[in-house]
Amino acid sequence: MNKVAIVGTGQTKFSKEDGDIEKLLFESANICIQSTKNCVPNDIDGVLVSTNDNSKYMGAILSEMMGIQPRISHSIEHLCSSGTNAIISAYSYISSGLSDVVLVSGVESATNPGQVLEWDKSRGNFEHPIYWASMLTKSHKRKFHTTEEELAIVSAKNYKHAMDNPSAYSNEPRTISEVMNSKQITDDLRILDCSRSCSGSSSIILASEEKAKKITEQPIWITGIGQKTTSASFTKNILEEIKSTRIAADAAYKMANIEAKQIDVAEVHDAFSVCELMAISELRITSNEKSGEFVRNLFNTENRMINPRGGLIGAGHPLGATGISQTIEISNQLQGKSEKRQIPNTRTGLIHNMSAAGTSSSVMVLKN
Amino acid sequence: MTFFEDQLEQGIFQIGYCKNCNNTIWPPKEICQMCHGGINWKESMNVGKIVEFSKKDSMYFGLIEIDDKIRILGNISCSSEPKIGQSVKMKVSFHNKPHYSFIVENN
Repeated sequence: MNKVAIVGTGQTKFSKEDGDIEKLLFESANICIQSTKNCVPNDIDGVLVSTNDNSKYMGAILSEMMGIQPRISHSIEHLCSSGTNAIISAYSYISSGLSDVVLVSGVESATNPGQVLEWDKSRGNFEHPIYWASMLTKSHKRKFHTTEEELAIVSAKNYKHAMDNPSAYSNEPRTISEVMNSKQITDDLRILDCSRSCSGSSSIILASEEKAKKITEQPIWITGIGQKTTSASFTKNILEEIKSTRIAADAAYKMANIEAKQIDVAEVHDAFSVCELMAISELRITSNEKSGEFVRNLFNTENRMINPRGGLIGAGHPLGATGISQTIEISNQLQGKSEKRQIPNTRTGLIHNMSAAGTSSSVMVLKN
Repeated sequence: MTFFEDQLEQGIFQIGYCKNCNNTIWPPKEICQMCHGGINWKESMNVGKIVEFSKKDSMYFGLIEIDDKIRILGNISCSSEPKIGQSVKMKVSFHNKPHYSFIVENN
């Protein structure tokens, strides 16, 4: 298999307002191409668009807008992890030799239809993600004695990180007390425990080893990939686990030939505050019992190792763009380009992106 | 409407079982996910146990396990805070989407 590198990145600012997805796509794709030294639209032979929007033929539409006539172009939808699924598809095209340089662009409008999975009849009229998130949160508190303060620290930490992220939907700080006293959604969720659906777009260019060396002086290599789908319906889950994440992480570590302790920086899928605690446990960075304490230590020591761009809670969650935005952050960290958010001496980074209460997960390991 | 939804509208919760391997099919589908066999439908016993619960506004809701380990999200009617493992009776209906209600027994 050919090696595959990230050679360009670009994103728009995320926003709570509705957005025009074609304009957003064009903006992030354009910034992405401008971010490279030696890549012009004609070099790109694959264009993939990741979105939950119901618009048609977006791969071809973005190609035409960008003046590209690619070999491969199509859309990818996989709810909240559409973005990493698109990147992994691009990886596959390049590593197999079907393509050399692929533009992957994710986009969403704030009122996208991807928040509710109508197919899942087991949710009844409790379709919105806040209901499964309440079940996971209550169960985590019950089984692992997780406190409301520990959950609030996840959000306070991620909002704090997002203050230094110019693309985040909000740069306002949120204290632990503000999170704990924010609007109550259910007995187990406050509004600031929840990520927010946003408008926004993120783009990334992947290239083969040969092309990467021409396009950039700082290629970031995708060295590990793991994916797992355990079901589509939430009620098949064991409440205290995200099995798909554990399986995907182990596969990614094996492919990259690393252990969890070698991860210097990670973007994890904090759709709700409890999801970050569960994710870092399933990724084997800590344990469920110690996850609250682990995050408290990060917050108290201003260690940005987990979700340095602010995660989904701090930066916002434009579904189709989220996985790409997470990947951009880790790529920038490994290039030393994260400015105020930069974690020193990063060598190995991880992206964790999941869908529908963790019924499907993607994990990628990147190296510089 | 599917057969499952039509039956819900009549207040009946039907559970699909594979004709070949007797696997329980949930959420409802027309084929078995294990062997792709056809489905026999059987009415639920309409009783279950509370796996987890929370509350929105003044309404309890939760994850309930009914026949053959089928798990469902629905609202919980009770006069005091529900308990994990508590027995509930199920009532169902269909208004554009499924509605599952659970009533705590002896409450």
